[in-house]
Amino acid sequence: MNMPAFFFCIFAAILIFASLAVVFARNPLYNVLSLVLAIFCLSSLFMLLEAFFVGIILLLVYAGAVLVFFLFVVMLLNLNAPTFTTTEQSRFRLWGWLFGLAFLSETFLAIKSFLAAEVTQPSSIRGTIETIGQILFTDYLLPFELTSLLLLIAIFGIVSLAKGAMGTGAKAGENQ
Amino acid sequence: MIGLEHYLLLSGIIFSIGIVGVITNRNVLKVLLSLELLLAASNLSFVAFSKFNGDYAGQLIVFFVILVAAVEVAIGLAIIVLMYRRLGTIQADELKELKW
Repeated sequence: MNMPAFFFCIFAAILIFASLAVVFARNPLYNVLSLVLAIFCLSSLFMLLEAFFVGIILLLVYAGAVLVFFLFVVMLLNLNAPTFTTTEQSRFRLWGWLFGLAFLSETFLAIKSFLAAEVTQPSSIRGTIETIGQILFTDYLLPFELTSLLLLIAIFGIVSLAKGAMGTGAKAGENQ
Repeated sequence: MIGLEHYLLLSGIIFSIGIVGVITNRNVLKVLLSLELLLAASNLSFVAFSKFNGDYAGQLIVFFVILVAAVEVAIGLAIIVLMYRRLGTIQADELKELKW
């Protein structure tokens, strides 16, 4: 077994284990921390695929910023409240398992037919900052600029939500 | 040798786990985390296709997906905090009214 295959197997196994923990762990803190582990493994798989820039961005933005958000919210809300650790399952439990298994078997079938059709070899492209940046600032300039607009709209949305919360929070306090 | 099919299979497995999580969890925070798993799985297949087809477009789409996911998480967590303040719980079943 050569080196990339070895690393692929290790990171794939950890990724599957961590994503199972994301879904099935009881404590929300463990959910968030196992998602950090899953993102780390995903980033390593991106490195194996030689998508260096996207892998680093994934690690920085997800594990660095988004999941700290999640941790912050988990700790802001009362973690020991009984609503958090409830083991009661949704009434859609059966449907969830059914949809998941259906999708998994569909993936198996699709990959089987894909294997029969052709066997592709990896190309020699390397997603370094230089190559990705060159395409990002020429062909994909408009979407790139539009994402800044999206971020601005998100800031407006969060500020207006927070201001509304302050107003209603005062009202709720009066009622109590 | 690790080929495209292995990456696609891994992506499909992660996506299925995410689907089960989104549908079966009652906790809104866990639903949002499972949603992140769905995005991660599709990101993996995008990068795998990009590598095996010799096209950079897949990696650029992943870049944009990460940006949009960050925005989505920020808004979603703000709504979860509001919901907790208003209802005192973050179970999805408790959201019965359209207007607060």
